[in-house]
Amino acid sequence: MAKKSKARAQMLSPRQQSPQKHLTPRRWRLKLVIGGAVLAIVLGVGGLVRFLQQRDLVSGLQETGEKRYTLGTAGAAVVIKEFSDYT
Amino acid sequence: MQRFEGQVQLVLYPFALNPTSEVATQAAWCAGEQGKDKFWEFHHMLYRRQEFWHRLAAPLERLSEFAKDLNLDATALKSCVESGRMQDRMKADKAYGQQLQVSSTPTMFINDYRIVGTQSEGDLVRLIRQELNRAQPQGQ
Repeated sequence: MAKKSKARAQMLSPRQQSPQKHLTPRRWRLKLVIGGAVLAIVLGVGGLVRFLQQRDLVSGLQETGEKRYTLGTAGAAVVIKEFSDYT
Repeated sequence: MQRFEGQVQLVLYPFALNPTSEVATQAAWCAGEQGKDKFWEFHHMLYRRQEFWHRLAAPLERLSEFAKDLNLDATALKSCVESGRMQDRMKADKAYGQQLQVSSTPTMFINDYRIVGTQSEGDLVRLIRQELNRAQPQGQ
């Protein structure tokens, strides 16, 4: 009996074996859309945070070297700010 | 710096990460009160003789001895550090570093370009050249 069932199952077409398969692509599409949306939001938020950080950084770096110990020419094209610890 | 004379300015922000380094930073600034060159001499000396003081919990005595070797007024330097009048400056620099998200040393900014960690001289020269080219495009 078991042998018969097995043989029958093997004879069935893939469509007959798993009628749920019709739903799978749609489910996958939904998953892809949701995943894509989540990814887009994450990337968007990340990009915004990065942009704001960079903007703060650039404005923070505008501070001049007044009352600091400096080497080289004031107003030079390249300003190197070095943060170092003596230990 | 000599290689890029007139094109580059270095601004130093001592960024003390521990109490020993805080004393050294204040001592350097106090040395600077005795002359700008004295600041740089003391600054270089701190690195050159680092092994003799950086593990001391209270390094001021040792640093005062070094100050004598640089013909500094060691008593004035010591009382300057002990007065704590450089502490605000040190805190301001630390706050500035934190504003720029500096969390470890050395950290450098070559214009807006951040570099964390020790770099080879070659890499630094390359980055400086890159920034110079950006700031002064060829033919202008």
